[in-house]
Amino acid sequence: MLTDLRYRVRALFRHGEVEDELDEELRFHFDREVQKYIGRGISEEEAKRMARLAFGGHDKVKEDCREARGTGFIELTLDDAKYAIRQLVGNPTFSVVMILTLALSIGANSAIFSVINGVLLKRLPYEQPERLVRIFLSSHDFPKFELNPWDFLDFRARNHSFDSIAAFTRGDVQISGDEEPVKLNGFGITSGYFRVLGLRPELGREFDYQAEIPGNGLQVILSDRLWRTRFGADPNIIGHKITLNMQPFTVIGVMPAGTEHPGNEYHSVAYGESVDVWWPFSFGGNSNQRGSHFIEGIGRLKPGVSVDHARAEMNAIMMQLGREHPDGDSGWKVLVIPLYTEVVGASRQMLLVLLGAVGIVLLIACANAANLLMARATARQREIAVRLAMGAPRFRVVRQLLTESLVISCAGGVLGLLMAFSGVRALVMLLPANFPRANDIHVSWPVLLFTLAVSLATGLLFGLAPAMQASRIDPKEGLQKATRGTTAGKHQNRLRSALVMAEVGLASVLLIGAGLMLRTFLNLIHLDPGFKEDHLLTATLSLPHSQYKTGDQVAQFYSRLIVRLNTVPGVESAGAGSDLPWTGYDENAGFTIEGKKPPTGEGFHARYHMATPGYFTAMGIPLVEGRFFTDADKEGAPATVIINHAMAAKYWHGENAIGKRMTFDDNPKKDSDWLRVVGVVGDVKDQPNSPGAEPAFWWPENQQSQSDMSIAVRTKADPRQAISGLREVVHQLDPGLALADVKLMNEVADSSVATPRFTFALVGLFAGLAIVLAAIGAYGVISYTVGQRAPEFGLRIALGAQRGDLLRMVLTQCAKLAVPGTILGVMLALSLSRVVRGLIYQVSPTDPVIISAVVALVLAVAFLASYVPARRAAGADPMTTLRTE
Amino acid sequence: MTGRIELPQGTVDLLILRTLLSGPQHGWAISERVQQVSSEVLSIQQGSLYPALHRLERRGWIKARWGTSGNNRRAKYYELTRSGQKQLDAETEAWRKLSLAVEQVLEGA
Repeated sequence: MLTDLRYRVRALFRHGEVEDELDEELRFHFDREVQKYIGRGISEEEAKRMARLAFGGHDKVKEDCREARGTGFIELTLDDAKYAIRQLVGNPTFSVVMILTLALSIGANSAIFSVINGVLLKRLPYEQPERLVRIFLSSHDFPKFELNPWDFLDFRARNHSFDSIAAFTRGDVQISGDEEPVKLNGFGITSGYFRVLGLRPELGREFDYQAEIPGNGLQVILSDRLWRTRFGADPNIIGHKITLNMQPFTVIGVMPAGTEHPGNEYHSVAYGESVDVWWPFSFGGNSNQRGSHFIEGIGRLKPGVSVDHARAEMNAIMMQLGREHPDGDSGWKVLVIPLYTEVVGASRQMLLVLLGAVGIVLLIACANAANLLMARATARQREIAVRLAMGAPRFRVVRQLLTESLVISCAGGVLGLLMAFSGVRALVMLLPANFPRANDIHVSWPVLLFTLAVSLATGLLFGLAPAMQASRIDPKEGLQKATRGTTAGKHQNRLRSALVMAEVGLASVLLIGAGLMLRTFLNLIHLDPGFKEDHLLTATLSLPHSQYKTGDQVAQFYSRLIVRLNTVPGVESAGAGSDLPWTGYDENAGFTIEGKKPPTGEGFHARYHMATPGYFTAMGIPLVEGRFFTDADKEGAPATVIINHAMAAKYWHGENAIGKRMTFDDNPKKDSDWLRVVGVVGDVKDQPNSPGAEPAFWWPENQQSQSDMSIAVRTKADPRQAISGLREVVHQLDPGLALADVKLMNEVADSSVATPRFTFALVGLFAGLAIVLAAIGAYGVISYTVGQRAPEFGLRIALGAQRGDLLRMVLTQCAKLAVPGTILGVMLALSLSRVVRGLIYQVSPTDPVIISAVVALVLAVAFLASYVPARRAAGADPMTTLRTE
Repeated sequence: MTGRIELPQGTVDLLILRTLLSGPQHGWAISERVQQVSSEVLSIQQGSLYPALHRLERRGWIKARWGTSGNNRRAKYYELTRSGQKQLDAETEAWRKLSLAVEQVLEGA
């Protein structure tokens, strides 16, 4: 066994030496044979002839010896590859076109696969992530909603499906101390949150049940990043106190690097290492009041328990709770959603569509490569015929040709991989900021394997048909024909035409897709957002409860802030609101409308916000009726509310809403329990592509104050110039406050269309690549047939045909390829319309304008591609063609 | 030439191993010797001799070294290894059995 291996290794790696030895050995044998004949009295010349006859083919013996050495396969492949490379180098235009088109297609596939691998295929970074689920509630009005803390405690106590469940809710904190105050991404978590995820602190421990009791909450767990950047990776940090929201918190744990946030719905923070601190969520207040929903559930299923089983059990518990607390807990269902679905569910379809698109590009590239190879195989008929005549077995010829296509595809693969490296970097930059798992996208080992597999499969796919066809040549016929210029069989012409039709068809599919994405993108950016995003600077502030204890103090702070902001040079108007458009805000409240009964089964409810005077003006949200808030809408003054147009249309349809009254009190007695509608403002949708605006209302900040507010500053010129003024004003009012999320509103608007822009950019890129490939294919076939028919054209001209007739003949041939191809493509695109429906906005997948534009474009490109060869045909010189015949 | 028999691969291996029993030989000498000893009936064509030598070498039954031949030229000599001798014994035994059995069948039928 060992001798065998040693022998083969030597044969392979000392290949030259072994071959030389064999040569010498065979020469020695030959010479001795010649001498033997001479010894018998035969002339030297005759002796040599006889020896040669006895010897058989020298090369055949050598090849058999290689076979016997057990390295024949590899050596043959190396030989074939060397031959293939010589062929490619000798034909640079062909090689460059082939390798570049394949490199682009394979590279694009590898880049998209890197995204798919990182986002969809790689396991989530938790222990046994397939057992993790997210828990939400659902009702008629709120299809996906957070939990109520008391419901969560009952779920935790009563369920048997989970190893453990935990809850978490967004709650940013401001850290202060020696350095500048900074706002941190924070989450309140219940005990066992990290145990559910299967993560352990690298220092200290996680919160125990004691920490859930109100008053025990001044503890904190730090992220690895915060621990390193703010505390110099102090190994003795456990037990130290740090200042958060102006209060001393004891550090009890530090999470390791790679602790990824599982994503959340309510005031969402991007998936990934996006959280800085965790503090203990405490359960306080009255456990019978279950109307308030703001914590999110996550659970680890017991081994063997299915998601369906857990869902059934949780819904049974919810039914019990509905009976125990009919006020707050009836009418809810429990959603149990696998964490994987929750994290990547929304991006899955988009990524699969992109994979499909890029796969189509690869198919086109294969068809193109097969086409070019077939054209060249015809030109190489003579070479192949010679090899067959010399006794090469057909399978050796097929093998040789296949090796050539594999060398081409692998060269394309290597180049493509290099392109993928930079492509992936560009893709990640292009991705929407909140794209899940964007940090997991790299060119990794699976991507390398994928590229290798795609390269090999591509080489076989485009190489097999041409190789089989070429080897079918009859050597005699091939040699005869080859002397008279080359022609291909009918069969081959049909195959090549079919390939071009397929290319044109597939390219049309991608172009239609790109057209739909472009329309979607344009529709989104041309939407009237309902506010004016230009010249608008935004930021967020949160006032720590320890210093701003009463609503009055909070309201006073924001009043003073707005007054001062209005004095900053360049500021046109300023205001503060509970939220900004398009940031995923989703806070809702139920109420009663004076003199109205809600439809059965649902109450009156709407999204609630707070706003200071000046907020609507600063945002550019128009007033429809009534008035905006003023400084007179303050504590003690009659309670007021502003509603949006959608709410007016829903609850006061056909009436004037101004002056109508609503209340949040279950038993309103006195006048002051009622709020009067003083204004109706224009609608702003949740997201630019939301189907419509949700009904919403605003409390005046001075009557219903909130400490976390978003600031809106409208400027005359570039809003960036107002940033320093904004910071200064905040610092003057309270140097302990951290101004966060300073952004231009058009950046926010921009990021809200990032996903459609990304999809359009990629599908557009792929479609462009596809149409170029199809054009190359059409050009190749047409110019080949023109070359083939040159004598015929010459003859026709000699017989009096007009050059225009020839031009028309060639263009007709092009139309015969392009028209059926386009029709095929349109039909395919129509049948695929279901796939893209979720990705497009306000455009039908069968949009006639897009389809006709694509048809026109494809036909134009096809004619352009065949125009050059057509001109050549028309320019045929009868004399030269006839002479060469 | 008439009277010569095409040899199957296994038989070629056996004849080579047997020829080397009397000492190291180069390829040409092996083929000459087989021809002589078999009274010109058996001949190993070069086309099967050299691949067979390479195969036997790979299996470790013979080993090769370069030496000088009678007329002072470098030649590759093959010699039997220990495992080659064992293989020769086994194959000889098998051959005897086979030919005896074939003989019996031919006689008896």
